[in-house]
Amino acid sequence: MSLLKITGLRAGIGDKEILKGIDLEIGPGEIHAVMGPNGAGKSTLSAVLTGKPDYEVTAGTIEFMGRNLLEMKPEERAWAGLFMSFQYPIEIPGVSITNFMKTAINSKRKSEGLGPIKGGDFLKLMKEKMALVQMKPEFAKREVNVGFSGGEKKRNEIFQMAMLDPVLAILDETDSGLDVDALKIVADGVNALHTPEKSAIVITHYQKLLEYVKPDKVHILKDGKIVAEGGRELIDKIESDGFEQF
Amino acid sequence: MDSNSSKNNAGRLSEPGRVHSRFASLAAAEYGLSSAAAPATHQPEKKIRLVSEAQGGMDRSCHQEVFTVGEGEHLDITFIVLPGTSAEIPVTVDITGPGAEVELKGIYLSSGTDNVTFDITMNHRVGGSISRQLFNGLATDKAKCAFNGKIIVAQDAQKTEAYQENHNIVLSDDATVDTKPQLEIYADDVKCSHGATVGKLNEDEQFYMRSRGIPEDEAKVLQMISFVAPVLAGIEDEDLTAKIENAIRSL
Repeated sequence: MSLLKITGLRAGIGDKEILKGIDLEIGPGEIHAVMGPNGAGKSTLSAVLTGKPDYEVTAGTIEFMGRNLLEMKPEERAWAGLFMSFQYPIEIPGVSITNFMKTAINSKRKSEGLGPIKGGDFLKLMKEKMALVQMKPEFAKREVNVGFSGGEKKRNEIFQMAMLDPVLAILDETDSGLDVDALKIVADGVNALHTPEKSAIVITHYQKLLEYVKPDKVHILKDGKIVAEGGRELIDKIESDGFEQF
Repeated sequence: MDSNSSKNNAGRLSEPGRVHSRFASLAAAEYGLSSAAAPATHQPEKKIRLVSEAQGGMDRSCHQEVFTVGEGEHLDITFIVLPGTSAEIPVTVDITGPGAEVELKGIYLSSGTDNVTFDITMNHRVGGSISRQLFNGLATDKAKCAFNGKIIVAQDAQKTEAYQENHNIVLSDDATVDTKPQLEIYADDVKCSHGATVGKLNEDEQFYMRSRGIPEDEAKVLQMISFVAPVLAGIEDEDLTAKIENAIRSL
């Protein structure tokens, strides 16, 4: 059974149709790359997958673990195991990373009929995952993303991903604005979470991250449609001849 | 209007560590949650005024307060207005000596047909003193809230510092908030500022939280709690803070 199955997806914002019929299937344990030039529809695709308000799906279906994703609220999609690392993570003043993660974890547990996570277990988890992404311990008290540099924000995204342990991780243009060291931490974090049951979609403009997170399949998105699909050889093709060839 | 600026501004003007650890000797009568024994000179004496009478829409209680703060004295007072309250709260602070410090704060949580008005008069009669005001309000249903904050700096009150901030979040289409800062400054060597915002809870923050599995209602509660947190910083009474959190959840 595929983890994610997108069929005939048309979607847009307001009157503008941006995705014009997308088919995409991801199986367990696979890493897929969705590449495309600016304006191709990459942000729309991730917005539709996460249930961002203001975006409208006009046709097509999305099945996630056999369930109708489009009928699920954003929080329900998270509980089902979907996670997105945002391109521009937002600041949440007054809410600490610790409080944020604890509330997120307990919300998921509540949806499963479980009680709140034990204090000791939570602290252990925080410590383990902060070490995994090389996040300094003092960040636990910081307000979510407030005053963080671009790299620190991206690291925080990967940290949250490690904490929430999703089945399908979507990395939205994660490699823009990162230096090589931060890029490696993001890649290491993603690769550590990649198991035969878990999958990832890397949505990107540049191929740099894909040198570290090697995709099994590459899809080229252009003008709202998937114009090419293949293996890693497509990345080299884009590197040499750009997106115009498709 | 996006409330990001209001949340970023709310309360950053006074940090918990800076607030006064001196006992304020005041002329006015005191009631409310002050401790039974007289606090030692270096203990912080935070006065809390809990305004929580359940009132019908038309019936408003009046909570007049007048404080005189003399040379080197400190006043630290926080007003807390809970849902189901209609009240007029005129507060006058007369600063009569230099080296005085006044910290005047409040939160108002208004729902139903609550009608709450704060009338603040911060009177710097002499110079060399500092006052800070921070009032944050959350209004929903058909509540009407008003904040009138006047700062008066007398002609000879040089080296006065007077700051005022009022931030409001409106949670429903029918709630209204009027905020009116007024500065009457007659001296010329002073530092004074005022800021007022009215906005909504930030939806991008809500979406981000929901994408991590925090349900919409809980995300809003987190936002509201963090909105009032700067005003409540330093309050150690856990029963009170729990009461406030429950009141926020009820909005």
